[in-house]
Amino acid sequence: MLKVDVYVARGVCRVVLNGELDMETIAQLQEVVGKVGEHTLEVDLSGVSFVDSTGLKSLLDINNDWRQKGGQMLILRPQPDVAEVMRLVGLDRLLA
Amino acid sequence: MRRCLVCAKKEPERPCVECRYFVQQGPLRRVPSPPVRVILEDEHGKQYPAHILVLNTTEFGLETEAPVPGRYVIRLQESLWVEVAGVPFRGKNNVRLFDILCVHRKQETASRLNNDEYQLLAGNAGELVQEITRHLPEHLQDLVREKLLAEIEKSELINALRVGKVMKYEGGRFRFLSGQVDLELPMEEAEKLMRQVTRQGTHQREVIISADGKNIFDLHGVPFDHRSGGLLAFDVTEVIEKERRMHQLEMQAYREAIAAVTGGRLYLVNGEEIEKVVSEGTELAKGEVWQTHDLPEARQAIRDALPVLDNRSWHAIALCLSEALTNTLKHAGGGCWQVRQSGDAVRIIVQDRGPGIKTSELAQATLMQHYSTKNSMGCGFTLMLYYADYLYLNTGPSGTTLVLDFGIRTAER
Repeated sequence: MLKVDVYVARGVCRVVLNGELDMETIAQLQEVVGKVGEHTLEVDLSGVSFVDSTGLKSLLDINNDWRQKGGQMLILRPQPDVAEVMRLVGLDRLLA
Repeated sequence: MRRCLVCAKKEPERPCVECRYFVQQGPLRRVPSPPVRVILEDEHGKQYPAHILVLNTTEFGLETEAPVPGRYVIRLQESLWVEVAGVPFRGKNNVRLFDILCVHRKQETASRLNNDEYQLLAGNAGELVQEITRHLPEHLQDLVREKLLAEIEKSELINALRVGKVMKYEGGRFRFLSGQVDLELPMEEAEKLMRQVTRQGTHQREVIISADGKNIFDLHGVPFDHRSGGLLAFDVTEVIEKERRMHQLEMQAYREAIAAVTGGRLYLVNGEEIEKVVSEGTELAKGEVWQTHDLPEARQAIRDALPVLDNRSWHAIALCLSEALTNTLKHAGGGCWQVRQSGDAVRIIVQDRGPGIKTSELAQATLMQHYSTKNSMGCGFTLMLYYADYLYLNTGPSGTTLVLDFGIRTAER
């Protein structure tokens, strides 16, 4: 299960995720992010209790797309377990 | 003379190769492994297959049905053949001692094998390669040795292909044309094949296992006209056996390397070993994954089955299960999972019937971060190796089984 909320203010789009990010739910995140036009994208993971490598791959893909468009993407407030997995696969560089 | 007769009576099972008396002891006595296969040919052209079990530069200990005493020729290469004579009363059963009478080379004859001939027959390919490469620059030695040994291994594989039999089939009968007289073919199947070949007028091939299951033959039928054709038969038993052994050796090398690199935490295991691993302990929960929505359900089922786990342990188990099941969905279209308790460990088992991980990709797939054959991060195994205490992997063309063990830490109450 994943709940995706979008907030836009002053050229920044913040996507707040609640639930789990895996092969089952990445499509929801990709669909929402595909419609975002702002320069800066913030993905708030404070409500995400579980991410596996497929979930992290989708965050990496979004980041690469954003950078290609000349924008910036930041990941905010991951829970400790999720932060550890990000560090293990070398994605902690995307943390704000 | 009496010694072998007494031994044949008293200790008929004792191998002659172990006997100090059979082929003279000395620094040049060698036991080739595997035994070298040769053909003895008598003066009338009759051929007897033989194996060189033990040798020195002047004698062969052969396993053969060739009559002793008797003089024979052994052709080792096109321009190298050896005349030998069986020594009466030396050896027992079908193992006999043969004296080397004469070695014929291109332009000379000698009474004994020279060093190179002896070394090759003695199965000393390794020593020979060491000797040849001794004067190379040090940084090249290992590379060249490895290549040479691989070539020798290949040529041994070709040697293991026994030149078969060529026969003519006409009007329902076979006539021997050339090749190995003593190659006993499953004639009923051969005739069935030739009937099809002549009827359809096309070349056909069939691989047949003998009735006793001991030999494998590769049969090729070629049509001449509507009632006759040629049959070419190869005994591929040893080739297949040798390939199997080579594959086993290769797997053994991978197993040792992977176990060493992972500090003894990831084991490649064979079918028998994995059967044992998956049946240990007691089952707590099981399920299947065929769709992505089965993933969160599997994680939840494990949470329900292990209520006493602390959060960190649960996260580790859920993540590894997720990685293993995602691999199964991506590479095999789905599979099944099980959680068991074995002693003080939680064991996760994920099985599929997919095409397996190729041997050539095993090391990268399991050890190399970001290596992936599908569009993924390729770090599933990296995470599993970090979070699980032990992993057991069995993979092949009929499927993959991955077992993950976790030491249990229960939640503080």
